[in-house]
Order: sequence, then structure tokens, then C-alpha cells
Amino acid sequence: MPASSTSLLQGTLDLLILRALSTGELHGLGVSRRIEQITRGTFSVGPGSLFPALHRLQSAGWLAGRWGPSETNRRAKFYKLTAAGRRQLDVETGEWKRIAVAIAYALEAT
Amino acid sequence: MSILSWLRTSIRNLLGRSTVERELDDELRAYVDELAAEKARAGASPEEARRAAVMEVGGVARVKDQIRDERPGMMLDNTARDLRLGFRQLRRSPGFAAIAVVTIALGIGATSAIFSVVNAVALKPLPYPNADRLVFITSQFPTLGFDKFWLSPPEYFELRERAKSYTDIAAYTASAVNVSDGTRPERVNALVITANLFDVLGVHPRLGASFTADEDRPNAQPVVVISDGLWHRTFGGDPAIVGKQIEIQGRKRTVVGVAPPGFDLHDTHTDVWLPLGLDPANRKNRGSHFLYLVGRLKPGVSQGRAQSEMHALLQQWGRITPGIHVPNDSTHKLQIASLQSEVIGNVSRALWVLQGAVTLVLLIACANVANLLLVRAEGRHKEFAIRTALGAGRARILRQFTAEGMVLTVLGAALGLALARWGLQALLAANPDSIPRSAEITIDPTVLTFTTVVAIATATIFGLAPLLHLGEHAVAAAIKEGGTRSTHSVTRHRVRRALVASEIALAMMLVVGAGLLLRSFRNLTTVDAGFDAHELVTFGVVMPIASYPTPERRVQFTSDLVRKLGTIPGVQSAAEMTGLPPNRQVNANDTDMENVPQGPGLPALNVDYYQYASASYFQTMGIPILKGRAFNASDANGSGVAVINEALAKRFYANTDPIGRRIRPSGPDTAAWFTIVGVAKDVKQGGLDQKVGTELYFNTEQGARIGGNVPNAINLVVRTRRPLDVIAPAIRSTVQSMDPALPIVQLRTMESVFGDSVSRQRFLSQLLDIFAAVALVLAAIGTYGVLSYLVTERQREIGIRVALGASTAGIVRLVLRQGLSLSAMGIAGGVVGALALARLTGSLLFGVSPTDPTTYVAVGAVILLVALLACLIPAQRAIRVDPLVAIRNE
Repeated sequence: MPASSTSLLQGTLDLLILRALSTGELHGLGVSRRIEQITRGTFSVGPGSLFPALHRLQSAGWLAGRWGPSETNRRAKFYKLTAAGRRQLDVETGEWKRIAVAIAYALEAT
Repeated sequence: MSILSWLRTSIRNLLGRSTVERELDDELRAYVDELAAEKARAGASPEEARRAAVMEVGGVARVKDQIRDERPGMMLDNTARDLRLGFRQLRRSPGFAAIAVVTIALGIGATSAIFSVVNAVALKPLPYPNADRLVFITSQFPTLGFDKFWLSPPEYFELRERAKSYTDIAAYTASAVNVSDGTRPERVNALVITANLFDVLGVHPRLGASFTADEDRPNAQPVVVISDGLWHRTFGGDPAIVGKQIEIQGRKRTVVGVAPPGFDLHDTHTDVWLPLGLDPANRKNRGSHFLYLVGRLKPGVSQGRAQSEMHALLQQWGRITPGIHVPNDSTHKLQIASLQSEVIGNVSRALWVLQGAVTLVLLIACANVANLLLVRAEGRHKEFAIRTALGAGRARILRQFTAEGMVLTVLGAALGLALARWGLQALLAANPDSIPRSAEITIDPTVLTFTTVVAIATATIFGLAPLLHLGEHAVAAAIKEGGTRSTHSVTRHRVRRALVASEIALAMMLVVGAGLLLRSFRNLTTVDAGFDAHELVTFGVVMPIASYPTPERRVQFTSDLVRKLGTIPGVQSAAEMTGLPPNRQVNANDTDMENVPQGPGLPALNVDYYQYASASYFQTMGIPILKGRAFNASDANGSGVAVINEALAKRFYANTDPIGRRIRPSGPDTAAWFTIVGVAKDVKQGGLDQKVGTELYFNTEQGARIGGNVPNAINLVVRTRRPLDVIAPAIRSTVQSMDPALPIVQLRTMESVFGDSVSRQRFLSQLLDIFAAVALVLAAIGTYGVLSYLVTERQREIGIRVALGASTAGIVRLVLRQGLSLSAMGIAGGVVGALALARLTGSLLFGVSPTDPTTYVAVGAVILLVALLACLIPAQRAIRVDPLVAIRNE
């Protein structure tokens, strides 16, 4: 994802991160790979966008971080959704669906 | 997120910054490690995998930067970091930093100092409760040319009874008295007041009470209220002072109160308040105008309403109180002004002019620093390119610039405030009496707020400089150029040249203003006062009526004193008079003049100044007698004689010979006449910048004829070649030998009397001179900066020109053309600006027009000269350019 992401795209990134973490805790690269996986490779999130977003979401109280050993046994920071984060995911999912439907209508309109 | 958790995170981010930083590093390192491991799993060699991972992550610093920006509390942290960086950058070029900080400090310091004066004098309300409801009431005699004149007691009582707009009206008159604690006499200013004055002003004595109505009756027990200053100075702050007796004008008075510290009215510097003791039943002395009135408007009554009520009162006054000397709405008006505007008087315009002048200085200072920053920015292209390549965002670089400006401004403002404090003290010490309310001038919270606002505005202007420079385009170009200079420096030049041209224009405006005031001041000091002020020493003496009750006694003392002063070695002659020129209060006396026609359209028979003088007066003062003779020794026992001035002769005896005509103060028809024996040259009485009024001289030695008019407060003047400090002890001992209880006041040279009488103009002129000089220097530095940068930048071009055979003169011309075109633009702008301001400064000038062409041309020449000087060093550098070196350099 290019650095010049718009606010809509930034919102999308937040949603994608929340969604990626909805199935369990992941470290930075894990989140990145999970997003690639669930978007079937459409979105590839680099560290320049990922980490600021992770920190922002953590500051907002939607993510919790903890240090732990990675699968290659290195010290890494793992993120997981908080209860507030889960609620936020629901809110944003609903919001997104509404937008998606609206845009779909808009594009189909003649 | 809750406020609390935001706060917690912010505090953690700010305080535990190193932990947070470390965690950030760890997290990013882990990411790279995982990525490398992933690539290694895909089959890359460990080294290759690592390299690929690092490349994929990109600028770690930039990522960290972005993360930092996301975190709460980081705004502050970033600012702190920017400021630190700003500091570091400035430390690396201390010369630039010092010049910039001093320039800003000068600008902010001068602005703050003048603002604290404006604030204390013109903006702050007078130090009385609800001061906005206080009004000053005076009379006005349009046909006699008297404005802001006094009221008589009957007028005061009638107004107080009839006007409904006021809670109360008080009256006072200013005087000076001798005070003694029993040992040594002291001369102090006194205000003789109605008992309600303290109440009208809303001020209560700090000890005791103000006067009761009973104490303010004719022949009441003598009482006094003293100032806090006198209480401390003379009575040692005696806590039991109330009830004690002190001696005033040789008469014992009981102290009933001590006024609160700093209490004063109309800058009279009063130390003693005495009751007027007017008799409300006596409505006879209508012509004796000596009272100023202070009224307090009822809540909700506007000044306008009081004004229209006054108008209505004036229209019916004559019907209710028939007779002469009754106020009316044509020739004998009463007028209302707010006490505040009355106290400030015409100073407020001068102050605003000064404030405008310092603002111009500040603008020039800002333009200069902005220019310096621009030049610096240009020298740092390479640095930006590297920073950008390392991943610093544009916003970031801009912030750094602003931070530098902020550091400069904060330092400059701090230094400026110190300068303002120091400058203010110096200013007030040098000119204690030339500003009203000067005791109230301090650097208070309002001034501090003002300084802060000015500093922020200043920083914003600096902030604009790099913005102009660092537009998106410039950054992109900077990266591409990688440090070389490019064509669009043309735009930048335009900005800088415009800055310098405006500096020159502003400086021109200031120097024109200063020049005009300087000329006014010179005109004032060279005004012909009508007498020879050199080698004159003067002082005052007041004879207490208690010890000098009869006119004979006073005349005796006066003539003895004049005679004894004349015998002091080194004294050529001595004289006595009532009013000391060139600054005395008008006394406007109704006067009978024999066979002078009276009627509508003709001047009213009123003389502006009575002067009771010893026979030696004209000779001692050096006042030429134009016609007839001066008083002489034989007049003492001869028939009544008078001398008039030219103005009086012209006004009342036009086309006739006044010598031999008779004149006398208006009074009973049986009063003796005085025969005019001479016409003296006009002497300035009401100020050097004022028109000469009509003046009638009586001879004090004719005490028997002058009668009750023999004054008890007299001025003495001594003509001597000896310096003041040599002659002063002899004068003191002469007076002491005659009456040890008489204090000598204001013993000084006549030249210093003149100096004091123009102190306000001198003060204004001196300050403007300083500002203009600073502006000139700053503009010169600005011109120099731009030209020397230009020479550096065009070194290559100059080198080529020289190589192609350009002469030294040609190169000098090249530089001069740049410099002179700048100053020409500046001067043109300055002339326009100065003409636009001419209307404002006009009323402050004396004897010179605000559009005086000589001043404009002279100032333009000075500016041009300064600009030429500023061109010299750059031109010299241009000549020395070695074509080979210059061309190879690039």
C-alpha cells in the first residue's frame, strides 16, 4: 500500500488489522501476512504503514500488546484484540458494509 | 479512549521515552528478523535474506518517525525535539544566532518598553474606582481665547445645585506651600479642595479621615491631610501622626488624615491637601475664577447626557442668576471632558506615534531576521537533500525551520524584555516629568501578554520565510539539484529584494519622522523668548502670609532681597517678578483702560498676564524697551506707572500712542490709575510654542499703590557669569540671613528652565532619533546582506565578465546598480508612507510642515548614502573575484 493513503484507505487499514487479529494474536509480520492472506494478496501492508497503525490502534485501546517468543524463537511483540477492539471491529464492519452497498448502488446506477 | 488512559500513555511516552524508544527498536528489529527468516525459509542465503529484508522495510528512521507521530503526547515531544535541534543548529553558527537574537531583542524590547508607557498612560483607567465616570469640568471663554479655564466659587455652587447628572461635584485649586516639622521648612505642592473631593474620587485616607463638611467652612479649625510620601519623608511614618499639629505656611494645622500611597490628582504631585473653606452663601465673587471641578457621573448617565444637560443649564443660567460673569452658551461656557483624557492631554498622540515608530522598527527587525533565515536556508540545500533522502518528511523539515525561528524568538523575547525593563528605567530617570502618570509605568501582566503576542507574531513572520523558500517545488528541486544553485533562485531573490526594499521604505518613514521632530525641537529651542536667557539664575520664594501679613512687609522684604542679591560678588543685577517666563499660568484679568473703545466686535478689556516686577526686571532679564521707559528707582515713591508689552499695545492701542494713557485692574471706580510709561518687547509667557499673550507690568516697589495685589509668591532672577554651583551657596546664605524659615525652591539656571519647558518634545524627539538610528542600521545590514549574497552567488558570472574584459568600474557598477535600485524603490515607498502619515504627526510639529521638502530630500540623501556604504564591501569583494578560481569553483 502506498504511503499516500487517503483517510478512507487508512480507515480500511484499521479495519483490516482488526479483522486480521480477530482470529488470534499475531506479531507485526504475522499481521502483514494475515492481511495478504485474507485479502487474497490484494493488500500488502509494509512496516511504514503497519506499525503506525498498530500503535494508533493500541493507543485507542482496541489492541493490547505483549512481548513473547516468535515461531523462530525471537523476542517479538504480539498484538491481540481487546474487548473494545472487538466492538470496534463490529462497528467498522457494519459501517464498511453500508459503504460497500452504497458504492455498489452508485456504480450500478445509470 | 478515555482521557485518563490518554494521559497515562502520554506521560509514559514523555517520561519513559528511552524505554519506549527501545521497545520500538526491538519491535522493528524483530520484524526484520522474521522477514529475513521467512526469506531464508524460501531458500535465500542468510546474508541475502537479511539484505532483502532490510531493503523491504526501508528507512527505519522514517517508520519510527511515523510511529512517533501517531502516539499521544508526541506532539509535545516532537516540539521539544525540534527545539533541541534548533538550538544545536544555532549553536553551530553563533554569529548568525547572535545577530538574529539581538535584532529580535531590539525590536521586541523597544516595542514592549513603549507599550508599557502607552499602557500605563493611555490605556489603563485612572487609579480610582469606576474612573470612567469621573469628569473634569472647566470654563471656556471663546472670545477671550481661553480654553480649559477655571470656574468661580458661585459658578461651582450653582452647578452643583442645578446639575442632576452627578452623584457629586468637587472643586480644587492647586498651590504650593511651605511645610515644616518644626525644624526645617520644605516646599511642597498643595491642593486646596472641597471636603467631598476624596469621596468623589472614591479614595479613602490610609490613616484618619478626609475633611468633614465642618472643617471646610470659612474660619474653621485649620486641618490638613498629608500624602503618604510626606508622612514617610518628613514625619518618619509616625503612626500617631493623626491629631498632631504641623506647620504650614507658618500656621499650625492639625493632621486629620494620611492619603493612600500614590494618591494624586492630575499629576499635581500633591503632598498636602487643605480645605478650601468656601462660603456657599457668598455668591458675590463671580469674577474670581480659580477652581477646577471633578464630577462623578451617576451610574448609567453617559458623558453625552451630562453634556446636553450642561448645554441646557447654560441656556437658562442667566435667567435664574442675572448679572455679569454668569455662564452662558456663547462667551462663557462650561465644558465636560473625561478626567482620563484630561490627565493624558495631548501626550496620547505622541505616545501612539512612538508606538507606531517602534512597530516599524520591529517590522524592519523581522524583515532582517527573515532575510538572514532565507540566506541560511539557501546555504543548506544539501542538508535538506540528505535529510529528505534519509526519510525526513517535508513537514518535518519545515518544522525544524520553524523551531529555529522559535528558538530565536524565545531568546530574543527574553533578552528584549530585559532590554525593555532597563530601557524603561533609563527613560523614566532621564525624563521624570515629561510623561503624565509616569509613576504608574511598569511591566505588568498586560505588557507581558503584549510581548508574548508580539513574539508569536514575530515567530510567525520568520516562519513564513522558510515557507516561501521551501514550497513543494523548492524541495523537489533541492533534492534534484543536490546542492547546486538553480534558476528559480530568481523568485527567491525577488522575495529577499522586496524584503530589503520594504526595510528601506520603513526606515525612510522613521527617519523622516525623526527628522521633522528634530527640526521642530530645534525650532522650539531657538524660539526668541523675548529675553536673554543666558547667564541667568532663578529661584522662587514664598512668604507665608502669617509672617508677612501686610503688603508693606512683603514689598520691604522683596526690595531688600533684590538689593542684597545684587551685591553678591559676581552678580551683575538681580530682579524679582511674580510669573517666571517662558512658562506661567495665564491669569486673565479684567482691566480698565481709559479711552479704549469697548463694544461688540472689539476685544474684551482683559489682559492675559499681570506681572508684578521690581524696577530692575527689564534690565536683568534683557528685555528691550521699545517705546518710553522702564520702571526706575524714583517710581517707588512716585505716581502709579505701568509698562505694557507689544501684544497689549497692538491689541488695545492700535494706531495710537499708549504712552501716557491710563490703565488699572478692574475694581471699584475709585481705584487709582496707572500711567503707561513704556512698551516692552514681547516675552513668551505660556510656553515657547505658544503665541504671546497680552501682558501688563506693575512695579512691585510701588507696593502702596498696588495694595492687596502685592504677591507673596515671587520669583527671583540673577544675572551672573558665575556657574550655578558657585553662585548657589551665596544666594542661599543671603536668603537665610533675611529669614531662615524661608525655603528656596527651584534654584536653577534659566537655560534649565527652558530645557524643562521643552522636555516633552525633547523626550519624543530623542526616542524617535534612537528608533530611526536603529532602523537605519538594520536597513543597512539588510541591504548589505542581500548584496553580499548576490555577489557570492554571481561570482561565476562576475568571473566570466572579468575574463571577457569587463573593467573594475563595470563590476562595481553592476553591484551598485543592484544596491541603488533597491534603495530607490525603498525611498519611493518611504516617501509615500511618510506622506500618508503626515496627517498624524502634523500636530506634534512646531514651525515645520509635515511634508517639508527639505527634510524629505535630506533624509532620502542619507538613506542613499547609507545604502551606498552597505554596497561598498560587497562591491570590493566583487572586484577581487579571480576569474579562474570563480569559474573552476562550480
